[in-house]
Amino acid sequence: MYTLTGVTKLYQKGRHTVRAVNGLDLTIEDGEWLAVQGRTGHGKSTLLNLLGGLDRPTEGTVELDGTDLGAQAETQLTRLRAQLIGFVFQTFNLIPTLSAAENVETALIPLGISGAGRRARIAAALNAVGLADRAGHLPSELSGGQQQRVAIARALVKEPKVLLADEPTGNLDTDTRDDIIALLEQLWRERGLTLVLVTHDTSIARRAQHIGIMNEGRLTIHQGTAPGQPIG
Amino acid sequence: MFFVTYLRRELRRRMRQAIVIALGLALGVGLVVTVAAASAGVKKAQSGVLSALYGVGTEVTVTGPAPSPPKPDSTSKNSQNSSNQNNFGIEPGPNGEPEICTSNGKCTSAAGKTIDQLTAPYSGISASKVAEAGRLPAVTTAAGGITLTDNTTTFGRSGNSLPQPSSFTVDGVDTSKPSLGPLSSASLTSGHSFTAADADAGVAVVDSGYATSKNLKAGSVLTIDQAKFTVIGVVRQPQASSPPDVYVPLARAQALSLYAGSLNGEVNTIYVTAASAADIPAVQHEIARLLPHATVTSEASLASEVTGSVTSAAKLANDLGKWLAVLVLIAAFAVASLLTMAAVARRVAEFGTLKAIGWRTRRIVAQVLGESVAMGILGAAAGVGLGFAGAAIISAVAPTLSATVPAPSGAFSMVAGQAVGPGPAGGVPHSPGAGSSHVVAVPLHPSVTVAAIVLAAILAVAGGLLAGSLGSWRIARLRPADALSRVA
Repeated sequence: MYTLTGVTKLYQKGRHTVRAVNGLDLTIEDGEWLAVQGRTGHGKSTLLNLLGGLDRPTEGTVELDGTDLGAQAETQLTRLRAQLIGFVFQTFNLIPTLSAAENVETALIPLGISGAGRRARIAAALNAVGLADRAGHLPSELSGGQQQRVAIARALVKEPKVLLADEPTGNLDTDTRDDIIALLEQLWRERGLTLVLVTHDTSIARRAQHIGIMNEGRLTIHQGTAPGQPIG
Repeated sequence: MFFVTYLRRELRRRMRQAIVIALGLALGVGLVVTVAAASAGVKKAQSGVLSALYGVGTEVTVTGPAPSPPKPDSTSKNSQNSSNQNNFGIEPGPNGEPEICTSNGKCTSAAGKTIDQLTAPYSGISASKVAEAGRLPAVTTAAGGITLTDNTTTFGRSGNSLPQPSSFTVDGVDTSKPSLGPLSSASLTSGHSFTAADADAGVAVVDSGYATSKNLKAGSVLTIDQAKFTVIGVVRQPQASSPPDVYVPLARAQALSLYAGSLNGEVNTIYVTAASAADIPAVQHEIARLLPHATVTSEASLASEVTGSVTSAAKLANDLGKWLAVLVLIAAFAVASLLTMAAVARRVAEFGTLKAIGWRTRRIVAQVLGESVAMGILGAAAGVGLGFAGAAIISAVAPTLSATVPAPSGAFSMVAGQAVGPGPAGGVPHSPGAGSSHVVAVPLHPSVTVAAIVLAAILAVAGGLLAGSLGSWRIARLRPADALSRVA
């Protein structure tokens, strides 16, 4: 469970101080799906970075299951990310020289899982995203949708507690977008993930249990249309 | 395993850049290896020149002072058509024909005569001093020797024809100490060398060059100043040296030297081995105190007096070559570092992603360092290959060098023709040795040593590590949120 209390994040941009997140209080229960919307530059990605332990708040606390992420040493944060948090990015961020299976494998390296166990988990993850037959393909040999599926497999192979997705369909066409969202929803449901999804797409946001609107660093929570409803 | 897979794929992806970095390092390393090989070749050549003079194990050489002019009543022997005199001069006669004039003013025509004269370039040192030198602190062993030159001049019967001079050098060897003196650096080509039993035997070992010119072989009989010696072996000295022509037992050399100023019971050269290289200055000092009139020379001090193109080559290798190699290495390191930094900059998103999914910074750094070191190893391998090629090219195209070797302290000098010639009656013919020098050809054979290869490998890997470290430094400072925001 995430508990954010009085979280503020300031950035220095030249001479100006930008208040990306402004006094945010938020609770995200385990297994919840929160979609975050808002205009560009209003703090959506910053919020995601704070939740993922990629950044530290200037003020306030971000707690994950009672652990204050901002107070952890970098090594501890790295370990938390390795064990508990999966990331999905808009641009997929796959390593171009590694095959689909090897890209998925990168998430298991920090966990020290080796041998047959590692291979089984990679195969299961790729199977879960429907890419069992593309394990040996390089990212350049896959479509955008397939690349994002590999990225999702990479995020899920370590069996995280939280999945943070930053515009996961931003680079995809409509049909592929629907496939990816359906896949995420299915995985969220099956695995009991806490899912925080940043999107500009209202039709996607409506699928979530809760919709948060970021505006000048402040978040307003609305009720979603409930998961399982058709997109659009 | 994943480490290797990732490393291999990245190197393949950036193959062109990897080749540029590896080639840059290879060029620097190859130059270092080539310069080291050339330098080693020059040193080897210099060492060859010097070791042939004094022997492999000799670190300090002691020679007696230059001889004083002979007394008027010096021993002389004459035969019907040959003269052996230490006290004579060649002067033009009334008809312009050369005449042999003794110190008492008696001159006879030189036509048809052969003058055989044995000279010693150094005065004698009591043989007992050899033992004393051997007992000095930090001296491992000392051996006495005698250096002589046999000069022969044959005058034509017509009187006006030019005299034909020739000479050969004789080395008196302490047969009980075969590891010291010029003979120690020679290799036997036929027959056998001296044994302790040959201490007073009329036997000789000859240099292969002299043996060829005089058609000598084991079993031949050799005449030195009318004394006959049986050749028991033929030896070859290292190339680029000017070795003695004939080696005889020390006692026999002393007997011969009766005609060269009498060195009976004496030696004119002492070869000394110090306990360690660090002891050489102290040994020199002690010997100088023991023999205040003698000249004490170390191999190093003599080497510093070697001149000629070999020295220029050494200077070229040591100065220009070294700095050129250093500059190229610096350039190679800089190129490798810049390219690695550029590669890291291009891979910011990749490293940011890895950090986001839980890779520790040190694992990412290890990956980048691994790639850099792999390029360094490739550079080292290619560099060693280039080094061998460079050494081969130098060996093929380099002209034969020359070394002008001073002979202030026992070096044998081949100054044929100087022993006899027009000069003042009663004067001593020019004695090769003290103050003279000679020029020897020194073929340059660069040799790539194991040390040079190890140095090359270390340099190349260090270059890779340096480049990787700079990249790693950037990675370590990389905040994943920043890295990801630059991509998004």
